[in-house]
Amino acid sequence: MDKLEIIRAKDESLDHLRKVHGDDAETLIADARYGFISGLIKDVLKKPAVEKETTTDKIDRLILNRWLGIPIFLAILYGVFQFTFVVSEPIINWINAGLDWLAGLTSGISPAWLGSLVADGIIGGVGAVLSFIPIIFLLYIALSILEDTGYLSRAAFVMDRLMHRIGLHGRSFVTLMLGFGCTVPAVMSSRTIENPHDRLVTILVTPLMSCGAKLPVYALLAAAFFTAYQGLVVFSMYAIGVVLMILLAWLFRKKMIPGESGHFVMELPPYRLPTVITVLAHMWERGWAFLSRAGTLIFGAVVLIWLLNYFDILEHIGRAIAPVFATAGFGQWQSAVALVFGVLAKEAVVGAFGTLFAGAETAGGFGSIIGTQLGWTPLVAFAFMTMILLYIPCVAALGAIKKETVSWKWTLFTVAYTLALGWVVATLIYQVGSLFI
Amino acid sequence: MSKKQITVALAGNPNSGKTTVFNNLTGARQHVGNWPGVTVEKKEGFCNFQGNRIRVVDLPGVYSLTAYSLDEVIARDYVVDEKPDVAVDIVDASNLERNLYLAVQFLEMKANLVIALNMMDVAESRGYQIDIKELSRLLGTPVVPMVASKNQGTEDLLELVVGITTGNIQVSGINIQYGHDVEEEIAKLEKLASSNSLAESYSPRWLAVKLLEDDREIIKKIRQT
Repeated sequence: MDKLEIIRAKDESLDHLRKVHGDDAETLIADARYGFISGLIKDVLKKPAVEKETTTDKIDRLILNRWLGIPIFLAILYGVFQFTFVVSEPIINWINAGLDWLAGLTSGISPAWLGSLVADGIIGGVGAVLSFIPIIFLLYIALSILEDTGYLSRAAFVMDRLMHRIGLHGRSFVTLMLGFGCTVPAVMSSRTIENPHDRLVTILVTPLMSCGAKLPVYALLAAAFFTAYQGLVVFSMYAIGVVLMILLAWLFRKKMIPGESGHFVMELPPYRLPTVITVLAHMWERGWAFLSRAGTLIFGAVVLIWLLNYFDILEHIGRAIAPVFATAGFGQWQSAVALVFGVLAKEAVVGAFGTLFAGAETAGGFGSIIGTQLGWTPLVAFAFMTMILLYIPCVAALGAIKKETVSWKWTLFTVAYTLALGWVVATLIYQVGSLFI
Repeated sequence: MSKKQITVALAGNPNSGKTTVFNNLTGARQHVGNWPGVTVEKKEGFCNFQGNRIRVVDLPGVYSLTAYSLDEVIARDYVVDEKPDVAVDIVDASNLERNLYLAVQFLEMKANLVIALNMMDVAESRGYQIDIKELSRLLGTPVVPMVASKNQGTEDLLELVVGITTGNIQVSGINIQYGHDVEEEIAKLEKLASSNSLAESYSPRWLAVKLLEDDREIIKKIRQT
């Protein structure tokens, strides 16, 4: 068999070279290439005697500073959410005003069931999701800017030391940061992680990074329960996600998927001023998924919710599940239903509330209705938000995880551990919080 | 003038401006699919130049052509298996030394390579002087200066692409010497590899080098023959 002969000959050659040089042949070959290139460079490239310090170097001295790096990163992240909320607020108000007008117009349609389907089901449910689209688009603009300027790579570099401590590499952090946008492309981006163990752990914890679709849920509840501290409360969701991601990555690495983490150089591309077109194109590419989902998946979900509600089935389903979450304070059948539909897509939670509480619309927006109808306190709302943050990734994300891990075992493991984690953390927050409030 | 279709593979390091060059070449005529067998995004586009229809395939941005990441394997396999008429390597002129590592590996594969020396404006603003003629001579492959962000050099690039397919421009390539000891082992393995069926699509010398790099994809392929 000539193929085995080749492999044997290769192993002999490698052994021989290792003995003679004390280096792997791979290193010798790479050295030869670098040698060729550096010789070539001497012939073709003339650099000025004293290299100017580039703008990139100047900015990096501050951004990558040993002590300031992480605080700057956190400040930028906080700025992103403030920007997202402040800019989107007036746009959301316009959209809501338009939707209210539309709901008033259609609620009179006869027969009455059709009026209810259109006004409560579709406009109440899909409209509730649509009204938060500006937040998602603005978040994507901000993330595009961070990525296209080259800051995202710096963030990964700054986090590299911390990532090593939990057994991962800084490059994993780029994947995790992309998880702030959407878990699906983030999980796919894990391909750049060379070490297969690093990659698996990164994929498993990516869903803990709060994605864009969860933002409408936070926005809805934060506006209703934490008027003065909306930005801070939403930021705390992202922070809780990151802290738990770090803890679980460390745990998985230690207990389940041990092994050396990869070592390689972190690439720091020069800073670039992104063009408006590029940023808008990236925003559109990512945001389009949400817009089209509002017209398809969310539309279907709210019609189903409306139907099940109309025939009094929904309440039975909700009541069967709800007791499980009583320990976390949100043991109402409506929130149980919202959680079930949230597995289809996280923003469907908003759609479900929108449909369920559509009849009771007030000037304060339907967010405040949740408080009165469900008897929630700010503490319950906060516990519910952490549940949304942590529990089962949406079906699209699970599909991506299955595709990339090529394993049902790890996909189901993700479902199980995120659900358990969400329940435990929400329960802890509610129980411990109840002692103090 | 012949109206044949030319396939161009666009390669380059991340941040070399590859996407901008791709957009300059194809404009709005792009579509996105997946690479066969994997879910990595594959972008393709078309442009017409001097009566030729040119199909541009955007390869994943990579630094090297080893088998360490999926992106590298995709880029490499495309050039070997699909044999594009021309491979264009976008090289960041302000970062010449590092970017050439990829170009050298394409030349080792005997690809029909054109080097697009992008970001010439950045290089010049730093006071770098690049002898393009000499670079082209030493690498045995045409080199075209570009500023993709200002859409400069796109036509020159297309002219080189067409020139290579008509045979007016030759790519002679390079033969890197890996040192006496390594060369000895390469010679042994090259001889064995030339009798393997893989030698139909890969050059035996390249196979020998990859074997010495302990390249897991190539070893897998040999086991499958």
